Amino acid sequence: MLKATLRSFLAHKGRLLLSALAILLSVAFVAGSLIFSDTVTRTFDRLFAHTSADVTVQPKKDLKSSVPTGETQTVPAALAKRLAAVPGVKSAHADVGVDNITIVDRNNKSVGPTSGAPTIATDWYLTPRSPVKLTSGHAPHGPGEALLDADTADKKHVRIGDTLTLMAQPGTFKVRVTGIATFTTTNPGAALVYLDPEIAAGKLLGSADRATSISVDAAKGVSDAQLKRRVLAVTGIGAYDVKTADEQAKSSAEQLGGFLDVIKYVMLGFAGIAVLVGIFLIVNTFSMLIAQRTRELGLLRALGADRRQVRRSVLTEAVLLGVTGSTLGLAAGIGLAAGLIKLMSAFGMNLKATEMVVGWGTPVAAYVVGIGVTFVAAYLPARRAAGVSPMAALSDAESAGIGRPLRTRAIVGAVVGALGAAALAGCAASSKTASAASLLGLGVVLTLIATVVAGPLLVRPVIRVLGGAFPALFGSVGRMSQRNALRNPRRTGATAAALMVGLALVGGMSVASASMSKSFDRQIDKTLGADFMVQNSNFMPFSQEVTDKVRATDGVGLVVRERFTGIALRLPDGKRVETTAAGFDPRLDDVAHIAYARGDTAAALAEGNIAMDRKYAEDHGVRMGAVLPAQFPGGHTAQVRVAALTNQEGSSGFGSEGGLFFGISTVEKYVPNGQDTVLFVNRAAGTGADQLRKNLETTLKPFPQVQVRDQADYKKLIHDQIAVLLYLVYALLGLAIVIAVLGVVNTLALSVVERTREIGLLRAIGLARRQLRRMIRLESVVIAVFGAVLGLALGLVWGVCTQQVLALQGMKALAVPWGTIVAVVIGSAVVGIVAALLPALRASRMNVLAAIAHE
Amino acid sequence: MSTPAAEHAPGQAPADGIAARARGLTKAYGSGETTVLALDSVDVDIARGRFTAVMGPSGSGKSTLMHCLAGLDTVSAGQVWLGDTEITGLKERELTRLRRDRIGFMFQSFNLIPTLDAAENITLPMDIAGKKPDEKWLAQVIDTLGLRDRLKHRPAELSGGQQQRVACARALVSRPELIFADEPTGNLDSRAGLEVLAFLRQAVDELGQTVVMVTHDPGAAAHSDLVLFLGDGRIVDEMERPTAEAVLERMKRFDVLRGQVEATDGQE
Repeated sequence: MLKATLRSFLAHKGRLLLSALAILLSVAFVAGSLIFSDTVTRTFDRLFAHTSADVTVQPKKDLKSSVPTGETQTVPAALAKRLAAVPGVKSAHADVGVDNITIVDRNNKSVGPTSGAPTIATDWYLTPRSPVKLTSGHAPHGPGEALLDADTADKKHVRIGDTLTLMAQPGTFKVRVTGIATFTTTNPGAALVYLDPEIAAGKLLGSADRATSISVDAAKGVSDAQLKRRVLAVTGIGAYDVKTADEQAKSSAEQLGGFLDVIKYVMLGFAGIAVLVGIFLIVNTFSMLIAQRTRELGLLRALGADRRQVRRSVLTEAVLLGVTGSTLGLAAGIGLAAGLIKLMSAFGMNLKATEMVVGWGTPVAAYVVGIGVTFVAAYLPARRAAGVSPMAALSDAESAGIGRPLRTRAIVGAVVGALGAAALAGCAASSKTASAASLLGLGVVLTLIATVVAGPLLVRPVIRVLGGAFPALFGSVGRMSQRNALRNPRRTGATAAALMVGLALVGGMSVASASMSKSFDRQIDKTLGADFMVQNSNFMPFSQEVTDKVRATDGVGLVVRERFTGIALRLPDGKRVETTAAGFDPRLDDVAHIAYARGDTAAALAEGNIAMDRKYAEDHGVRMGAVLPAQFPGGHTAQVRVAALTNQEGSSGFGSEGGLFFGISTVEKYVPNGQDTVLFVNRAAGTGADQLRKNLETTLKPFPQVQVRDQADYKKLIHDQIAVLLYLVYALLGLAIVIAVLGVVNTLALSVVERTREIGLLRAIGLARRQLRRMIRLESVVIAVFGAVLGLALGLVWGVCTQQVLALQGMKALAVPWGTIVAVVIGSAVVGIVAALLPALRASRMNVLAAIAHE
Repeated sequence: MSTPAAEHAPGQAPADGIAARARGLTKAYGSGETTVLALDSVDVDIARGRFTAVMGPSGSGKSTLMHCLAGLDTVSAGQVWLGDTEITGLKERELTRLRRDRIGFMFQSFNLIPTLDAAENITLPMDIAGKKPDEKWLAQVIDTLGLRDRLKHRPAELSGGQQQRVACARALVSRPELIFADEPTGNLDSRAGLEVLAFLRQAVDELGQTVVMVTHDPGAAAHSDLVLFLGDGRIVDEMERPTAEAVLERMKRFDVLRGQVEATDGQE
């Protein structure tokens, strides 16, 4: 039996090739993401472990703001001297390192990385742990000199002797590059500038008495843990974050991990899609192989093989396929990881591909996914194969598997579909975000399953309509292709399902994102009243100098600053929330339209007061006039009085809750070294908008990262950001399409083989090759468009329900991007044409006589 | 095995011309020492308006002859004409058009497209060509073949004999210069087979068509006007106004020659 299985596997290797490709793709993404993240993790673990001091003393991280506030937390520099005196301490150094800095070259071009990695200015203090060494020039001495890292110097064409302008929080200053420092380890992608340690604290932190951390090294024979205990004895527990080298490395790696996790999850998302769509392909392939082999299986049964043996034979084939696909996928995954590592170096993160880490978990995951998926997908067809009666050996193989009733599918599809529809309806009706979102998830899964199950039932009605014009347009060629697509609804349904999954996702996401864009537009129209907004391109805060210069610009009538701070509030319901609050200048009403339920801007911005979103206040039992204990970064505490309740759509942005804001004086009071994030600018009487824009742009020339935007620019910016989300979805779609095309190719190729005699007959009675190709192409197109229509219909429903969830977040507008939807339908027709290329060519190349005589 | 030849008159249309012609037609398979000659320099004229049967034992080359005459197969040497058109040397595309417009086909089995109903199958060659069938002629063919009440049926809903009648109608409807029938009764029981043969006869006698039928059944051959006997790739004999008995006798001589019985064998 095993011999027969092996023979059959090898005999059908062409058929199985496409299934193997689908497995390969999913396994490659799983393996690639694991290898990549293992490699990166190990590289950085090593880097951090290598570069961390034995013990590091840092400011206590009490409040993390999700919005950058530009504030740098510090420790007293004098602490280093105290720690140096502790027994067992070899050395203690007060480090200065800030990333709230902008560096521009002589032409006012930023030398910072474009990838979003930070620009860091730090003191030049060389230890055996330093990740860099001085490779040319000399160390910086005094306030006018600095070193630059070699990668940045290379990329931005900065040479020794060039002048750089550093815009630090305390003020802007110029330095001459006196040397180049080269990374001896992996460069994580940041741009680094080194200053003389004597002047670094004053220039970067505004006070020579401050430091951002203290690095403490142990004398011989003192362990890191012992050292930490002794340091804690001096500083006291709880005043600072004190970490050993291991702990420091771990927390650094965790910080970096956030970014890497995104890549990992995106890749796993790809793998998930590949697996999901691949399952359809494999199920379909095995079903068709078994339908083709009904006679052969019947013969095996007639010769005495029992059901179990037949089933096992098919499943063994599946496992063989899974092993082959997984092995190839693992190899492809290594290639994919290598590609990603290359890509990372384009972003400045110089990982070395030779140090690729393939952990034991990677092959295990690869084979589990590959074989598991194949096995699961082949299980149903295998059962069907086992059900073949010995009589099948005697009857006509062609009719097998076509005529079986679809009643079970109809019942299961209807029940699951009804449940899914109920979940979606519940989601639309729900008023709580959390429950609506989970109902949405449930509804999406259930309706997807229902559509897949009931797909074959929809084939007849939908394709009748879709292909309805074919006979009129393409004559009998069109008629035959339409009917061929209807011939085996199960097969057509399963083939189209692969495409449907991807397109349903696209449909849903494009509706959601179009709705988001429209909602933001409306919100901007409604709330933004300023002529211009001055903002950093990466939304980071900018230095005080920018504010000063904008204020002094000709034609500026009013400048309202917005400055963020992290804040923790103790709410009456007992909850402590850590969020972000905005501080505004008093004349906020002139640049923004805020709808108040209670109170007004004057009350909201008054000393000691705070404004809150009305709905949020209600949810947490906050009443107008309530006094809440608040905590600010750096440990400052205060009492704030709720003096205004607002009706805000979508509150104040992502990652913050409560829509909190108060007077900017409150921020200045509790967070003294913060930076402004946005300037709302109105023109003075008699100055045209174009004139002011020109003036502002001239003023901001030395600050290349700061941009002037009017309302239209701002809308575009928001749209672009939402588009990034869409690109990800389109990439997913791309992969889903690749696999779906494989599925369509597979189905058509098998159909062509099955219809060999029919094709021979058609050719004999005068069907031209071109017409034959067209017939197969049209069949392919109608299958693809069927999948697209089903997918988009499903996606539209999902999208509308998603919008209902977004509406609870204040994004109330619904927009359906019909352009995208039409484009997707047309695109799916193109996909059909592409998928038909090879099968059509094969059919048209068939020898007429051989085809007629084909058994 | 009935219908003596005497009962039917020669074709109504006078045998005034040549529908198809082959000269020195040779078809070889393989090369070098293993060359097999399926047709060995065959000269043949197919008379217009007549019913010609091609007979011969398995492997005698009778199907190959038909395929070459119909432009389905390429020839190794020699020339073939359909009417005045030399088809040897025509390009694939021209051959396809020729088959579509000027030749009708009937095969032993699998004659119809399963997704199309009888009416659509009948007009398929015209539809492919993008031509409108001659409605009067179509009606006449359908009525002659008794298919009027079967037009909306799919092939799976038709009996074997009905299927062959639909195939016959399809071959007739474009009024081809030549109809090739390859063992058209091979898969039918004797009653249905007789019916189909009678229709082919009718097509010649009443509709003025030209039919070439390949068969190994002497009874079927007896319906024709002329039987060509093929042996080892050559035309070895011919018989006008054949009877089943005479054809059977002639065929037995092949068997004696080969020392084996092949008359009841399947097609080649």
